[in-house]
Amino acid sequence: MGEVAYISKSTAVSSKTVQLGKLYSLSVLDRLMENHHIRMVYYFRSSAGMVAGDLIRKLKESITEMLVCYPVVTGRLVRNDEGKWMVKSNDAGVRISEARAKGSVESWLQKVDREKELLLVYWESMLHKPYFWSTFYVQLTIFEEGGLAVGLSCSHLLSDPISASTFIRAWAEIALNGNILLPPFFHPLPPRRLPINRAQEKPNTHFINGYKSIIEGLNPVQAHNVKTLTLLFTDQIAQSCMGLAQPNTNMGPSPSPFQALAGLFWVCISRVRGERNGLMGLSICEDARKLIGLDKGFFGNCMVYNKVDGAGVEPNSISQAATAVGEAMVRMNYEGIMGLIEWLESSNGQSPPPSMDGDDLICINLEDSDLYSAPFDECLEPLHVSCYVEPVVGRGKVLVLPSPLGEGPMGRVVMVTLPEDEVVKLCEDDLIKRIFSPIILMRA
Amino acid sequence: MDTRSVKLKYVKLGYQYLVNSVLRFLPLPVMAVVAIHVARVSPEKIVTVIESLHLGRLQVTCSSFLVVFIATIYAMSKPRSVYLVDYACFKPPVNFRVAFATFMEHSRLILKDNLKSADFQMRILERSGLGEETFLPRAIQYIPPDPTMEDALDEADLVIFSAIDQLLEKTGIKPKDIDILIVNCSLFSPAPSLSAMVVNRYKMRSNIKSFNLSGMGCSCSLISINLAKDLLQVHPNGYALLVSTEIITPNYYRGKERAMLLPNCLFRMGCAAMLLSNKRRERQRAKYRLLHVVRTHRGADDKAYRCVFEEEDAQGKVGICLSKDLMLIAAEALKTNITTIGPLVLPASEQLLFLFSLIGRKIFNPKWKPYIPDFKQAFDHFCIHAGGRAVIDELQSNLELSEKHVEGSRMTLHRFGNTSSSSLWYELSYIEAKEMMMKGDRVWQIAFGSGFKCNSVVWTCNRPIKATTDGPWAHCIDKYPVHIPEILKL
Repeated sequence: MGEVAYISKSTAVSSKTVQLGKLYSLSVLDRLMENHHIRMVYYFRSSAGMVAGDLIRKLKESITEMLVCYPVVTGRLVRNDEGKWMVKSNDAGVRISEARAKGSVESWLQKVDREKELLLVYWESMLHKPYFWSTFYVQLTIFEEGGLAVGLSCSHLLSDPISASTFIRAWAEIALNGNILLPPFFHPLPPRRLPINRAQEKPNTHFINGYKSIIEGLNPVQAHNVKTLTLLFTDQIAQSCMGLAQPNTNMGPSPSPFQALAGLFWVCISRVRGERNGLMGLSICEDARKLIGLDKGFFGNCMVYNKVDGAGVEPNSISQAATAVGEAMVRMNYEGIMGLIEWLESSNGQSPPPSMDGDDLICINLEDSDLYSAPFDECLEPLHVSCYVEPVVGRGKVLVLPSPLGEGPMGRVVMVTLPEDEVVKLCEDDLIKRIFSPIILMRA
Repeated sequence: MDTRSVKLKYVKLGYQYLVNSVLRFLPLPVMAVVAIHVARVSPEKIVTVIESLHLGRLQVTCSSFLVVFIATIYAMSKPRSVYLVDYACFKPPVNFRVAFATFMEHSRLILKDNLKSADFQMRILERSGLGEETFLPRAIQYIPPDPTMEDALDEADLVIFSAIDQLLEKTGIKPKDIDILIVNCSLFSPAPSLSAMVVNRYKMRSNIKSFNLSGMGCSCSLISINLAKDLLQVHPNGYALLVSTEIITPNYYRGKERAMLLPNCLFRMGCAAMLLSNKRRERQRAKYRLLHVVRTHRGADDKAYRCVFEEEDAQGKVGICLSKDLMLIAAEALKTNITTIGPLVLPASEQLLFLFSLIGRKIFNPKWKPYIPDFKQAFDHFCIHAGGRAVIDELQSNLELSEKHVEGSRMTLHRFGNTSSSSLWYELSYIEAKEMMMKGDRVWQIAFGSGFKCNSVVWTCNRPIKATTDGPWAHCIDKYPVHIPEILKL
């Protein structure tokens, strides 16, 4: 690969020893995600006077400070007596590698595709002996003509995309200011606050049913040759999309950009696939931290899959699709999520499914995550952040991310991963091409 | 304790007091007898005796001059005391830390085609007595390490200049005041030398006497002390700056021979800078005064010569091969050294006992157990080179030392690993940080090195020493001593 040259690989350890030998158990939501991993790439423009060697040194020094707060990340996976994964805090550290890329970060962003982008964030699957396998991997790539890319890949067992983004943010805060504003905490999921009063409340089995069908369902067909399309919806375009999603503004609160975009892509991708019997299946994935009383510092998996009911939605109606998505979002309540967690805990002993994607298109809501506010150094300016939740099996994945600073509060970046032929068709789709024409950041 | 051994203990104590004090109190009765005899003789007889000598004024004057002259020659030819004004030990920055688990993972990843060798390294590390906070230079922390000469020079820069900067700040000495410079680093010897690097960095005088000792192993710090002491006799009234270090970067063994993998596991970054002087005005503030230096070289014996040997393995990779007889040879070298240093430092009681035991074994019964002199009576503190757990254990049992005596060595091995020639100074620093050093205390520094050498230096504490806020132990001394398990399970 002439584009990216790997220079070196080492391990970053925390600057102080943490409680060695302490065991952290993983929650039921964590264990389901065993066969997935996350890859994120943060791009920065650098000012002219920046010396690459000094910057790399600063980043490596600051990560050792930051890792003192993350014993789960520097630890290693072990199985307990019941065969379930746990993390043993042993200070082994995080693998960190350095690379060099040709050109500048701006020129790279203009011609990057999925294959090239994944060169900036190394990932190796679990080794034969997981005790020697680093669950988190960081890659620092310096662009020869200016710019920096920070790649983070991690096992989904330990972290969801929200926690992965807070990990990078904590690192950036330490590098810039010397302290972390929101340190992480590692607790099991909280138990139910109030006792169940079954007589009064109708139990919400919606989530349980959804998860049951994924866990007990057939293995999904492995999608061959996926490609990823990254689109930027500026503030204006996103607002017009939201307008289309709710033509009658007096019908209730206006949809969030995620709701509108989910509806849009649901419709377009179904059309591209040639679905005849209504829209294809859709599951949205949202952060449940606030609902169960946790703040963003909770480190682990706390995103819940929520199947959207597409019955009765007309194939070309974005407003109906968005409404259905909105209904699903409303259905996500405390009772439903606690019921799900309790059901998962009671049905112990199940091995995790090969994929949580099931048979549906997955739409992941990351629009509230804070990806752009903390650069590592004053000489760096955040340009773009990409996020992948791999592997993509089943029908495909859509990730809705915040847009870079300066694009307005409603601006969004959408990363769509589909089989290759579908991506090509999606680019040519009328709705996307003519009506909205979002800026294509990354071609398939 | 049963009454028999208690009684024996008091008998021994009584014997020691008697023998050690006999020389002090012997003159008393003799003086008493002479005084009585003189008092008996009448004053007139004394005057007559003096007059009979026919001493003229000239004779008296010449005799007085002669006496004064002899006294001056004697005073001037006496070797001037050498003082250790102060010393500084390098503490690496925290991001050079190496955790056990990380070291092991790296070892497995680098030696993935030789997992048996990786397991061997793991077993060494578990039993090594090293802790979780030792330091390795950055170039060695890569997977796989591929150190260049520039990396080695960077490490040398960092460790040596940090230690010297600290020392100059502590003592207030200017680089231009340094008369003698000795740098010792066994396994890295670039051109220009490390001592030239120091002269260049600190812009020292053009008539500085600089020396660079390489290849002399872990006991080289004490060899430098010996050299400095001799030089200060020839160039009195001077300052000697000594730097002891081992540059780890170029010496990483990249092969798989087990006998050569040990140094990778045990050697860590470290450096010490010492300021010696024989200026009279340093007498007040110097920390220690040098008493004895004893050097023992067993190189004439082939086995001893080859027991720590740098060579290429079957694949052509260079490493330091440690022979299985290392401990035996170390014990032999130790015996030779303490036989020489014993008479210099041991109190008369112990020397007599040793003599009797020797005579007894030669004449009466060779099967008598040899008497091991009690060095605890000669010294208050022991700094045993932290070459490895086995070395400390061996010396502890040979010299019958308690855990408290070897605490400094064990804790230095735990906290800093084997920093080669500078480890003695980290150990001394530990003793000071624990405020165990009192004025008048005697310290014995003993180190082994390739060749095979065993060197000893004895210091006496010149002034009370308080724990300071700087120094390598400053932020962690309260955690020590820690219990170090036999085998650390990871």
